[in-house]
Amino acid sequence: MISPTRALQAADDGRLELESIVTVLSAQFAVVTGPKHLVRRRRLDTFDRRLDAAGLTLEHQVVASGERLVLGRPDTSSTVAVSVENLRWPAAADALPSGPVWDAVAPVIGIRALMVASDERRRMRRLDLRNEDGKTVARVELDEPASAAASPGRLTVRRLRGYDEQARRADRLLAGLGLRAVENGECGEPSSSQTSVNDRAVPARVLLTSALSDFLVTMRTNLPGLLDDVDTEFLHDFRVSVRRTRATLKLGRSALPEVMSSRWELAFKSLGDLTTPVRDLDVYQLDLPSMSNWLVTADPTDLDPLASHLRRKRAVARCALMRSLRSATFRRMLTEWDERLATLMDTPEDADRKHLSAGRLADRSISRAYRRVARGGAMIGADSPAEDLHGLRKRCKELRYALEVFAPLIDQRARKRAVADLKGLQDVLGRFQDTEVQRGAMRGFAEEMMAEGTTAGAVLAMGELIGHLDVEQDRARRQFDAAFARFERPSSLRLMHRLDGAR
Amino acid sequence: MRVLATYNIKGGVGKTSTAVNLAYLAAREGRRTLLWDLDPQAAATYMFRVRPRVKGGSHALVTRRRPIEAALKATDFDNLDLLPADFSYRNMDLELDDTKKRTLRLGQLLDSVAAEYDVVFLDCPPSISLVSENVMHASDTLLVPLIPATLSLRTLDQLTRFVADSQGSRPEVVAFFSMADRRKRLHREVIDAIARDHTRVADTVIPALSIIEQMAVRRAPVPAFAPTSRAAQCYEQLWAEVCPR
Repeated sequence: MISPTRALQAADDGRLELESIVTVLSAQFAVVTGPKHLVRRRRLDTFDRRLDAAGLTLEHQVVASGERLVLGRPDTSSTVAVSVENLRWPAAADALPSGPVWDAVAPVIGIRALMVASDERRRMRRLDLRNEDGKTVARVELDEPASAAASPGRLTVRRLRGYDEQARRADRLLAGLGLRAVENGECGEPSSSQTSVNDRAVPARVLLTSALSDFLVTMRTNLPGLLDDVDTEFLHDFRVSVRRTRATLKLGRSALPEVMSSRWELAFKSLGDLTTPVRDLDVYQLDLPSMSNWLVTADPTDLDPLASHLRRKRAVARCALMRSLRSATFRRMLTEWDERLATLMDTPEDADRKHLSAGRLADRSISRAYRRVARGGAMIGADSPAEDLHGLRKRCKELRYALEVFAPLIDQRARKRAVADLKGLQDVLGRFQDTEVQRGAMRGFAEEMMAEGTTAGAVLAMGELIGHLDVEQDRARRQFDAAFARFERPSSLRLMHRLDGAR
Repeated sequence: MRVLATYNIKGGVGKTSTAVNLAYLAAREGRRTLLWDLDPQAAATYMFRVRPRVKGGSHALVTRRRPIEAALKATDFDNLDLLPADFSYRNMDLELDDTKKRTLRLGQLLDSVAAEYDVVFLDCPPSISLVSENVMHASDTLLVPLIPATLSLRTLDQLTRFVADSQGSRPEVVAFFSMADRRKRLHREVIDAIARDHTRVADTVIPALSIIEQMAVRRAPVPAFAPTSRAAQCYEQLWAEVCPR
């Protein structure tokens, strides 16, 4: 296996002279210089940099003789190269050839698509450093830009397993040429722009503006991927930002100008509603493989007509969504929202609203949200209709958002434990509500498909799915009491008091 | 990690050529591959231009005084590492005999590098010994090269019985004809007549070709120095038949 020791570049970022490199290395090695070839190197990763977070690197390299994927792993510091053909990006893990690259990459990226994170044309040359047996004991890669705009040339000594000393010797010889080590981060990796306000005394409006601005950044960064339909997570992340914006506006009513609720809460509600049909259909499509495992008598292929139906419906819903997101109205909305956030601190308003402290708003919002969940949960009885549980789920989400928005101001350990208890309750309520909605949706799909003359097998299979959803909903309903009791247990109460009493 | 061993009780039947070429092909596909040259004659080690020396010898490896990771050497080919042979391997039987679970030790040693490799090839010395028993237990597949001759079939029978009688996990035995010469009637007859009901016999036949002998001169796998040769194609076909999915 091969791994890099360190990359070097000319002290003035200038050209690396092959002749002097070979001369200096020849003092201790037989140097075999390979031909120079042009390589197009596309660094691949998901939009949220999952490979990078897992310590993996993936490059799609194209040379005259063919294409290959080169995977770098953190565990063994080794690289794996696999020949490929006709790969196009963005693409899901399914596009990768089966084998070690797929094995390493697919579990990490999940449902996210691989995209081109950087694209450079480089002139590469490999130098094999051999010992007296003719065995290659180290490699040096000379990597120079094919255009002036690209990053400067660099030289990488690659260590071969079992020949560490030889790589060190090569490194020492090259040091004599006055090269400097390439600093980490010179590749220009994107950095997070999340901001944080953690002073309880600052006006709440500062904290709210900071949070709302971050959500707007997330919406904007996800928009191109959403418009291009790169993967389903762009829409998901976009919707989460919209939902968080709405929740923050609601939590901040007592600190923000009135126009924020009269205009912008409605605007973001409409935006959220606009994206719901496509997201719902995405979820059905993503869940279909696991749903097919629920079938007892029907065959998974009986669900093929449902899969086609979902695809068609999604295509129609997506067209409508794209029309709206590409419209001048939507562009104007984002621009105006951006401008509104920029001037939020300067809005003339009564002093109480403007100067309400972030800590005070956090305490008030969290305790109010907590009380509403506790009250709502206590009112749920054996005969409560599904709408009541749905209402409680919404209250739980409000509490969760409050804990997230005001996270910088509250005790982190207490917050984590409170979120863990709340998550348990949210999980049960989520399963109850999702199965309720899915049952109705499945019935609706079946009626539409029957009108189009679908097969009896498809309808029967969907009936089995509805039966399974019934059982799941019953199970979630039975688990509610225990989940709510956990949320309300004395230790959780104390936690909440600690949170809203952290003044 | 899948372990394939090239094994035969007889010597000079093409075990090393097969191990070297198939390991190269596995690595060329992008599989992280290790070849352990267990034969003290060190032919595979020689072909990769690596010096046949393991610090501390087989004693250090078997007793785990020296981790096998420390003895690994990269070959000149991407994704392909070698655990070199050492002349002390001639005493490996004795070393293994002194350990607990003496028939499982090689498998235990390989477990320590399981996360690093997708495929491991064991190039075995020709014998039936404690090393062979270890190889049986450590391997998923036993690749058995056969020269198309009556005595070879008898050897295959002995080997199949030996595997069947061994305790614990047993590898799949895959025999294939090697060094075959279609011009010889006996070779043709043996290839056509071999019973395929008890043992899996690969369809690919590796012919006796001088380019395979040149491996020792070129010190490289055939597909590396003669990628379009008939021999390279035969090894590719064989790999397609036996490669782990």
